[in-house]
Amino acid sequence: MQEGLLSTYHEPLRNRNLTAWACSAILVAFYVDLYFFDHLEPVARALHLPSKWTLYGLLYTIAMCVGGYFMLQKHGNSRYHTLRTASLIAVQSLLGFLLPLALDFTGRPAYYFSYFFPLKYDILFPGTLKDMPVAVALWFIFGSFVGVPLLVYFKGKRAYCSWICGCGGLAETFGDPWRHLSSRSDRAWRVEQASVHTVLALVFVMFGLVVGDAYAADGSALREVAEHTRSFYSFAVGAVFSGVIGVGLYPLMGTRVWCRFGCPMAALLGLVQKFGRFRISVKKDMCISCGNCSTYCEMGIDVRAYAMANLPIKRASCVGCGMCAHVCPRGVLRLETRADPGPQGSIDVWTVDL
Amino acid sequence: MAEAPHHVIIGNSIAGIEAAITLRRRDRAAKITLISWEHAHPFARVSLMYMFCGQLSLKDTQFYPEDLYDRMRFARVLDRVTGVDPVARSVTLLSGAAIRYDTLLLAVGSTARRLPWPGAYDEPHFLHHFVTLPDLRALDAAAKKGMSVAVIGGGLIGVEAAEVLHLRGLKTHFLIREPSYFPVALDVAESEVVARHIRSHGVDCRTDNPVDGFLRRGGRIVLRGSDEIEVDLVVGAIGVVPATGFLAGSGIALNAETGGVETGDNLESTSAPGVFAAGDCAQVTWPDGSRRPEQIWYTSRDQGRAAAAAMVGDDVKYRRGTWYNSAKFFNVEYTTAGYIPPALPGPASAGQPPGEGWQTWYQQVPGRAETQRIVSRGGIVKGFNALGRRWDHQVWMRWVQERRPLQWVLEHMKEAGFDEEFTEPFRVLPTATLTEGA
Ligand SMILES: Cc1cc2nc3c(=O)[nH]c(=O)nc-3n(C[C@H](O)[C@H](O)[C@H](O)COP(=O)(O)OP(=O)(O)OC[C@H]3O[C@@H](n4cnc5c(N)ncnc54)[C@H](O)[C@@H]3O)c2cc1C
Ligand code: SF4
Repeated sequence: MQEGLLSTYHEPLRNRNLTAWACSAILVAFYVDLYFFDHLEPVARALHLPSKWTLYGLLYTIAMCVGGYFMLQKHGNSRYHTLRTASLIAVQSLLGFLLPLALDFTGRPAYYFSYFFPLKYDILFPGTLKDMPVAVALWFIFGSFVGVPLLVYFKGKRAYCSWICGCGGLAETFGDPWRHLSSRSDRAWRVEQASVHTVLALVFVMFGLVVGDAYAADGSALREVAEHTRSFYSFAVGAVFSGVIGVGLYPLMGTRVWCRFGCPMAALLGLVQKFGRFRISVKKDMCISCGNCSTYCEMGIDVRAYAMANLPIKRASCVGCGMCAHVCPRGVLRLETRADPGPQGSIDVWTVDL
Repeated sequence: MAEAPHHVIIGNSIAGIEAAITLRRRDRAAKITLISWEHAHPFARVSLMYMFCGQLSLKDTQFYPEDLYDRMRFARVLDRVTGVDPVARSVTLLSGAAIRYDTLLLAVGSTARRLPWPGAYDEPHFLHHFVTLPDLRALDAAAKKGMSVAVIGGGLIGVEAAEVLHLRGLKTHFLIREPSYFPVALDVAESEVVARHIRSHGVDCRTDNPVDGFLRRGGRIVLRGSDEIEVDLVVGAIGVVPATGFLAGSGIALNAETGGVETGDNLESTSAPGVFAAGDCAQVTWPDGSRRPEQIWYTSRDQGRAAAAAMVGDDVKYRRGTWYNSAKFFNVEYTTAGYIPPALPGPASAGQPPGEGWQTWYQQVPGRAETQRIVSRGGIVKGFNALGRRWDHQVWMRWVQERRPLQWVLEHMKEAGFDEEFTEPFRVLPTATLTEGA
């Protein structure tokens, strides 16, 4: 038994009832205030922090540490999850908080070295790159187009999404109590496909426009279009989707709302993963159909359908958190990156292979 | 054109639904009806424990999408079958209705074996079982934090019930008649490892502890046996029996000892043509030649598929492949494959190979509930039993078929490992022992 999962369905906060709605409302209100108002500025100043964004970074890091502690209490009898959680918290505290803070205090621009394009969509804007030291610029260019994709090809999307990324980090720690709420329905899957790829397309269009604009002649019509698209993206995706909705709806729609429905990085790396080595292999004919894996999949993947069909799971959306393998009472699943392809095949999970 | 045949399946758990899906794949036109009293949609019975402690909802345990019936055009009837007339080819329901069939599949599974305690079932409210959804609901309503409960019977259902009752905050006594826990699968040392693990959680696990009745004292129940124990609730987990009571006198032959439906190699009833049986309720042939039901999930699924093929006229011969199984005792995972007797065979006896030439390789990892046991004959590996680690039983089964020598297997053991990444690797310890059979 996974003692940590005990009572999942007995706790009000975790079951889309009044408590969960209230919690979601508080999170949404917090993000709306953070992005669109300045009430947090005086608080930040009172704490001698440079801005409300630093205060947010601090709160974020604390949420991850506290969430991570509880997450390990629950699932910590596994080195994989202990190391993974430690890595997420370390990356967030050091690269996502302390280093930018230190840079800021020394009067330099605050770089977040663990975020790459297209998640951090403005990092490769010509205007941004221009002001960067060369090494820093190379880090972001190389990381975005070579480093992270290669890592994902060999180790799976999880290497970024479940070991490094701050958004994933918040989901895996603070968001852990709600992972079973992610919908497994056919409709959720179709919405996910449409929305995450729309954002991906949008980010490239926006990026293209901004780059084009940088080289366009002064006064060209492009400027206005690029500016509008950029500010639309930063409002709709950057603030509303990734923050207000992406975290605010954890208690109602499961963790990873942003990663699943909105993150262009996840969408892009998912394509790499499809062709890469990572898969979840299945022990043949050992699944007892219990449902733990599918229930605790935060991406809403019906893992059990694959396990029952003896097929390895190779899905673009899988962030490789490894919880399905961890909670499986029969040890049916294993995260795998060996070169040999293993058994091949795919199933239409929602039609039971008619 | 002849009218499409009507296949009726009693039971919509794993055996029944797999049979129905197989039938539909074979015949797009056939009429297929599933009858079940328990729940309108197949769910994983193995997840009763997770539902009991709030880890899964009933919906989470439904292993096929809800629209399966519509898409596959299965008719379903939520009612209890009270009788079958194999001559008239019809079944009678509790509601009084009758349904005619061309072929019938009995996939009625099991119910809990009743405790043979005089008067126990006349007293409502204290005696429970852990096999069906009504069992679960009754226990769920009765079990209150702080109560004390006795789980009777040292098998797989018993240990699951004991675990979740304990997790729900009941003072749990796990009472096992035999001298060691789960003696059909674990040898004495392995069993001790498991019992210690169970006790380390705070469950009062007593072996060698038969209970032969009870008496009432105040509002409580006092169990009579080797020790007197006072409890509020009792969960009887002394095994399951085929749920075939309603077939008595129908002309469908049942085994006198087990109550299982007597079947031929193609899973057709030996006495009633057109009636088939699959899953927990069917008598099948075991590798050792004996005939009894096989009460496990995987084989129920296989039998459901095989019976369906037989129902549409295929020449089917159901044979269980190499034995394998897995379980979990509290946090300790258990995997087994191949021929793995709980103790090395003694001198030749009925159905048992002689002990000569048999060896057991065994090791126990100090400080952890982890063991490995490998049985071999003449140096060739025959079977594996392991606690506390994950193993790919398919690799083990392949090695048994390839007749791999023990030494080779020990050197390659890691290849069968299935643990999470970063788990401490498997190692052969200097304390490993090799025992010869008689
Ligand atoms: C607590 C528990 C844990 C288990 N854990 C494991 C495990 O870990 N691994 C494993 O391999 N096996 C396990 N088993 C065994 C496994 O669940 C069974 O082998 C399997 O469910 C058998 O499937 P079945 O289709 O034959 O019948 P069942 O699952 O028993 O279902 C019987 C069906 O028949 C219907 N039915 C019965 N009688 C009638 C009637 N008269 N009229 C109408 N409908 C009727 C019922 O409604 C039900 O749909 C466990 C069992 C229990 C109880
Ligand atoms: S793979 Fe494991 S967790 Fe998933 S349904 Fe099968 S046995 Fe349960």
